[in-house]
Amino acid sequence: MTNNMIEISSDVIRGYNDTMILYILMEAPSYGYEIAKKIRALTEDKYIIKETTLYSAFTRMEKNGYVVSYSQNADNGKKRTYYKMTDAGKAYYKEKCAEWQLTKEVVEHFIRGDE
Amino acid sequence: METIRNYLETMFANLPNTMDVLKAKNELYQMMEDKYEELIAEGKHENEAVGIIISEFGNLEELADTLGIGGVINNNVDLDTRLVTDDEAMEYVFEASQHKLLIGVGVMLFIISPIFPILITGSTGSLGGVVGFFITIAVGVAILILSSARMGKWSFLDNLNCVIEYATANALYAELRNNMLSKALMKTIGIMCIILSFIPVIILDELTAKSFFGPNMAPASLFIMVGIGVLLIIASTAKDGAYNKLLSLNDSKKVAGNYDSIRSTQHDYGNEVFNKIMPVYWKTVTCVYLIWSFLTFHWHRSWVIWPIAWIIHRVISTSYSDKRR
Repeated sequence: MTNNMIEISSDVIRGYNDTMILYILMEAPSYGYEIAKKIRALTEDKYIIKETTLYSAFTRMEKNGYVVSYSQNADNGKKRTYYKMTDAGKAYYKEKCAEWQLTKEVVEHFIRGDE
Repeated sequence: METIRNYLETMFANLPNTMDVLKAKNELYQMMEDKYEELIAEGKHENEAVGIIISEFGNLEELADTLGIGGVINNNVDLDTRLVTDDEAMEYVFEASQHKLLIGVGVMLFIISPIFPILITGSTGSLGGVVGFFITIAVGVAILILSSARMGKWSFLDNLNCVIEYATANALYAELRNNMLSKALMKTIGIMCIILSFIPVIILDELTAKSFFGPNMAPASLFIMVGIGVLLIIASTAKDGAYNKLLSLNDSKKVAGNYDSIRSTQHDYGNEVFNKIMPVYWKTVTCVYLIWSFLTFHWHRSWVIWPIAWIIHRVISTSYSDKRR
């Protein structure tokens, strides 16, 4: 559970779930729960990605060719679906990063920290 | 973990039974399982872990586009389905197996009814024999009618669009498996009774030739043995019928229909004809045996059907069933 009173708006974050997942897959291929755990750790518990959100992102990105999935036995012998980033995924990630820079710049003009 | 499984199965129960949907369900289960294990390892109580997982599961609507299930999710509540509760399911199993047992008793009475005219003979007795014969038949018919009437209240299982929950299906399946041994045992004893029914005939023929009932004791014993055998065979399938009926309630086009596939996987002979014949193989053999035996009364010969049938069964199952993959 988060400590802050402000909840993150799912509408805003929706466009960047893919970016977060791809960021994590850039290091190494990974599976559902591990990715969710890393997102949570990197954001210091401020964003907890829902299972259904994660899964719909996986399927959407796989359809677009940004990731590929394969089955592999984990350390404990359990069969898991792993996701691996493709070159198209890398290009898409860069695109999204640039898009975010622009978005941030634009929105930033209208944010006042005081009051 | 069972709670999570149930939660997920219930969420998916009304969705169409497609590859995409099943894949999503498996994948989500994987993630939830991983999370559960970690939460437990962190020292969380089971209930707390389940609570966290369910609260962080999200919403199936998010999957609507990827799975092409938008229409189903929006009218998730199927108004004309009737949920068969756990208690109802158990009550049905109890009553349906009782019903089957009573049918068995009725049929047994029909089979043994001729012993009265056989046993009670002679100038004074022959009338008693006929009366006994008809009374037995009448009792048999009465039992069949009464027990069928009692099952009337379950007709909604056929008429309404009934469903059972995953947890119920699981419990039923467990019972089905537990029941397998006693079922096989009863069936075997029943078949043995029929196969060996000529033995008391031979023995009694020697022993009772000079007794009160005279030589008729021997043929009478044959009817009793066959009657008991048939009763056991019918009774052996009593519970199974009820389990399978309940397990097959769910629509096979929906995810919930998969509860159906967890029940005994049907043997695949890789051959259309055999796949149709084999499920009724032993029933057919039993019928042929009984018909041949009762028509000709060559019990000393007709038993050879069993070893022959067994050999044919072995040949078919060994030469066909392994070719399926």
